[in-house]
Amino acid sequence: MLADLLNSLAAQNLSSHDAPRRDALTDALDDARAVVAAAAEQATSVGDWSPDEPLRLTKDRIRWLLQCPRRALAAGSLAPGNIDDLLLGVIVDAAAKLLALGAARPVTVEATVAFLDAQEDHQVSQHLADIGEAAHELLEEAALRLDHLNTLWPDIAPQWWARVEEPVRVPLADRTVLLSGRLDIVLGGPPTDTAGVIVEIKGGRWHDSARSETHFYSLLLGLRDGVSPSHVVSLAAADGATHVEEVRPAIVGSVARQVATALETATSIAAGEVPEARPGRQCATCPVAGDCPAAAAIEFTGDRAAA
Amino acid sequence: MSLTALASGVRQEAVRVRDELERRVATELGTAPHAVSDVYIGWFAAVDAAVCSAKYRADGAHGWTFPGWSPALAAAAVGRAALGHHLHLQHRPSHPAMTPPAVPLPDPAGAVRAWMQAAARGDSRSPVAEWVADRMAEKDRAALAACAATASRWVGGFVRVLGWPLPGDLGIVTDDHDNPVAFRWRKKHRISGGVTIAGSPDAVLGKVTSGASHSLVIHRPSAPTDTGLSERAAFEAVAAALSTGLVPSEVLFTLGDTGERTRLDVDGELLDHGIELIENVVHQRVVASTEPETRAFDDATPSPACGFCDHRDQCEPGQGWLDDPCRRYGGLPQLQ
Repeated sequence: MLADLLNSLAAQNLSSHDAPRRDALTDALDDARAVVAAAAEQATSVGDWSPDEPLRLTKDRIRWLLQCPRRALAAGSLAPGNIDDLLLGVIVDAAAKLLALGAARPVTVEATVAFLDAQEDHQVSQHLADIGEAAHELLEEAALRLDHLNTLWPDIAPQWWARVEEPVRVPLADRTVLLSGRLDIVLGGPPTDTAGVIVEIKGGRWHDSARSETHFYSLLLGLRDGVSPSHVVSLAAADGATHVEEVRPAIVGSVARQVATALETATSIAAGEVPEARPGRQCATCPVAGDCPAAAAIEFTGDRAAA
Repeated sequence: MSLTALASGVRQEAVRVRDELERRVATELGTAPHAVSDVYIGWFAAVDAAVCSAKYRADGAHGWTFPGWSPALAAAAVGRAALGHHLHLQHRPSHPAMTPPAVPLPDPAGAVRAWMQAAARGDSRSPVAEWVADRMAEKDRAALAACAATASRWVGGFVRVLGWPLPGDLGIVTDDHDNPVAFRWRKKHRISGGVTIAGSPDAVLGKVTSGASHSLVIHRPSAPTDTGLSERAAFEAVAAALSTGLVPSEVLFTLGDTGERTRLDVDGELLDHGIELIENVVHQRVVASTEPETRAFDDATPSPACGFCDHRDQCEPGQGWLDDPCRRYGGLPQLQ
């Protein structure tokens, strides 16, 4: 699906094709910029942030400010969960980046772990060493997921300007508020003449929150570059699911409004209001559920992960 | 301002900077009970010592010297070299001349790969090229891939923010003396007392002559704080004044993550701040030479950097800051 998309987009270029759609996206981006800028100005007048210590809004923080503000204050804590699943995600993510940069195929688990170590990220190799014999099962599953990835991933032509781990930050309100993210893979977009495509890699199975992540990243990249990406793609290595979505003005506007709402909530917290706890399924993996009265009051189906 | 006045002004100011720095460094070294020599000051040391002098001292000799090339440390140098190599292959003199409109936009990953292959063949000679060739000989694909990932991000960000084609009067600073389009920048300047100041701009805009103004260009893939930018600019401006005998007119930052270009004028105030930053490094080295084995952290400057500091377990002020229940994380209070 990614290959089909890239082939289709390669036949277009920003300067001539689909001008009405491009204009509509440009207008939507301008409106979105105004919405988030106004919200940030309003927020910073209360929040007492500064350019040296700004309010930082990432996709996770925005998600939790909207879904459960109390959870948003656990930003520095690790969510409980299966470490193997977490590290499978790390392996798949890194392998995708090697592929995006044109590494020879197939990209193996061994090469991927070595790549991570070379980047001073030793969490995978350390865990494998720690679990000894049990590493075999983890490595087998990783190899299976990389098989999917090696099959799904197309050859990326040089015109696509593949970049990996692209940091994107949008400063607002005189740099006292920062929208930030690190995009797995970015293809095309300025300064090339090809349409921009964001590719997010999921180590596990595809889930709907992957969509909202790509939507946020599309806004980030659009605000930074002044041009909205054309499509967002989320690719799940566990089941090979690939979701391709065109970036539409409605998406841009919706995400901007979500950011504005998240800013309002952040402002109230910074002003001293107690953050609301909104219990739900997410309590099972919340790192601060242990002393949360709202979480304690509900029953779960299925196992609750240890904090 | 006439060219003569301009020429005279930039030279005189550079002389002032040099004389003031020599005086201050000599004063600092004169207070040392033991000889302090071989003090190498790059921008990282200047900013590091300013952020937290206790941490700088505690890093010791291991932290004060170049640790050797690694994928992360080599990435910017590789990025510059790759961009210079691309321009060379397109037969474009990088400095100074107009950029021919036909020079194709480099593919960042492709440009990095091409230069690495040239380095492996010995077509490019520089310390970082030697490291790449060495890694190739060792078949250390992981290190090369890690370096290439970051270097291609550097190239992409630099070109995207500065714009393509690149300004006609832009010279990319590389150590590759075999590249005819490389802009050779005299990076190191040694002052009395065995203190070396090494600037490291990524590029220079304009002619570095007394009759014209020039700007230093520095690319940061991730933008530091405003204070961080100011300190880097101050250091680089002083380092440039020392090595060229001329004061640049401004420092231009290209910030990869925000897509911004930020200009800081080089004036007397910025130069004085740069002198202070360098003096501080020498001062901290003198203090470190007199400290007992158990390092003192009384003058530590707690900040978010404490979370990543190797010495946080021994640093009481840092621990106090980290443990403060009222501390904000990314602008909001934190639940433990």
